[in-house]
Amino acid sequence: MRLPFTANPHERQLIPDGRFTGPMPWVMAIMLFLSLLAAAAALALVHAASQGSESLSRQATVQILENDPGARLSQQQQVAARLRRQPGISDVNIVPESEARALLEPWLGDVAEDSDIPVPALIDLEFSATPEPTRLNALRKDAARIAPSVRIDSNAQWLKPWFDLVYSMLWVALAIVLLLLFATAATVALAVRGALNTHKGTIEIMHMMGGTDLQVARLFQRRVALDALFGGALGLALAVAVILLLGERIAALEPGLLSGASVPLYGWPLLLLIPVAVTALSMAMARWTVLSTLKKML
Amino acid sequence: MQSVAEFDNVGLRYGTGAETLTDVSFKLFPGSFYFLTGASGAGKTSLLKLLYLAHRPSRGAIRMFGEDLVNMPRSRLPGFRRRIGVVFQDFRLVSHLSAFDNIALPLRIAGISERDLAGPVNEMLDWIGLTERASARPATLSGGEQQRVAIARAVIGRPEMLVADEPTGNVDPDMALRLLKLFAALNRLGTTVVVATHDIHLLQEIEGAQMMRLDKGKLSDPTGALKHPPRPLVLRN
Ligand SMILES: Nc1ncnc2c1ncn2[C@@H]1O[C@H](COP(=O)(O)OP(=O)(O)O)[C@@H](O)[C@H]1O
Ligand SMILES: [Mg+2]
Repeated sequence: MRLPFTANPHERQLIPDGRFTGPMPWVMAIMLFLSLLAAAAALALVHAASQGSESLSRQATVQILENDPGARLSQQQQVAARLRRQPGISDVNIVPESEARALLEPWLGDVAEDSDIPVPALIDLEFSATPEPTRLNALRKDAARIAPSVRIDSNAQWLKPWFDLVYSMLWVALAIVLLLLFATAATVALAVRGALNTHKGTIEIMHMMGGTDLQVARLFQRRVALDALFGGALGLALAVAVILLLGERIAALEPGLLSGASVPLYGWPLLLLIPVAVTALSMAMARWTVLSTLKKML
Repeated sequence: MQSVAEFDNVGLRYGTGAETLTDVSFKLFPGSFYFLTGASGAGKTSLLKLLYLAHRPSRGAIRMFGEDLVNMPRSRLPGFRRRIGVVFQDFRLVSHLSAFDNIALPLRIAGISERDLAGPVNEMLDWIGLTERASARPATLSGGEQQRVAIARAVIGRPEMLVADEPTGNVDPDMALRLLKLFAALNRLGTTVVVATHDIHLLQEIEGAQMMRLDKGKLSDPTGALKHPPRPLVLRN
């Protein structure tokens, strides 16, 4: 098979329409723009999730709700000491009461400073791997012998719905990209069928002079490749502009769940792959459409 | 002698109507010159379409260059078509290509390089008297000029068989004779020529040419063309 860009200039004249006359390149550009945005959003979310999840989900917080300040403090010390002896816990950190009050301040206001109002005693835990719920439960039962009111909340617990959401969105994005690729292929097939109809006379003449189906297919394939490349370049440029702009907005946000949401470096080659894949798919589709249509001619 | 084309009880039917060609049997021999005559609507174009592989017969057997055509896979047809030159009744020039590019088309399809095809194409343009119109599009050419371009395109590849459907219908008698002489010259080089025409004056110009006549889709051979091997041609005047 000859490469589409090496078709000689006289062969190209046979199908004379200007390259960018039809709606094809614009439709391609829109499809690609949308595919790229969906893919970029998915990549950014997965990146944010994987960045945050590793350390976040290994953390847990112990709370001791005890009204008597003296008992609270001693229970906190004892529980911490006990947890330090447990395997698989890499860090046990007693949160000073002042810090715990500071944490509550945004919710309770000045009242939090009032030492008469009890605040839970907190211990930050860091596991060497994300702890299973059963393990946390066992730890809680063990600590409850010292502090009956103890609670252990792992970050993994409240992160789970967030991860579930991220991974559902990943599937949704993948589905969107696949649907757009499918729509692109259908667009190519329609456009090629239309062009075949327009140039039916020329194709018949080529056939009568001994032109092969592949010679005809090459002409259409070349045009579609150019359309797809043009549409791909335009869609890519627009998508990159939008991704960078949104990235800036996200970077300007307060630290939080979205703050890591930017397209990771490894994501850019993946994004670039989409226009390349679309061009290849379009050419294959054009070739297939031409050959299967010509098969019905003699 | 091996025939160039051989029809055996061929029938052709468009759609579900009556047969346009019925029980057509003949043999074309290499190097001979045939006229196909008959009233308008007799089926001349239909028969030629079978000859230049634009149609498959509804029934019967066709052999071309010694091979069975009826069961030939599509993929092998282009190779056969490159051995046949066709002058279509309606010319069928590519409207957006110049006269030069139209004439060059069969050579380009056959993969002949630009360097090698410029000479023959210009020679052909000169011969049909259209050198000055080489870059003109068909729409700007007169009917006769278009016909000459169509003929040039048919013969440029030195086909083994030339099939021409009313090739002199749009030119004045002088040009008709010139074109006929071109066919005869090609014929002397070994090309089998089949010319469909209802112009009986033409028939007399080439002595030794054989004649086949179609009448309502049935073939008859007033000169015995279908039975006897070809005689050497003599060109009058
Ligand atoms: N493509 C076609 N579909 C249906 N009928 C056709 C077609 N081509 C020719 N015919 C019919 O076949 C008959 C023979 O036509 P044609 O071969 O063109 O005759 P001629 O060339 O001798 O004038 C005519 O009656 C014509 O109407
Ligand atoms: Mg006719």
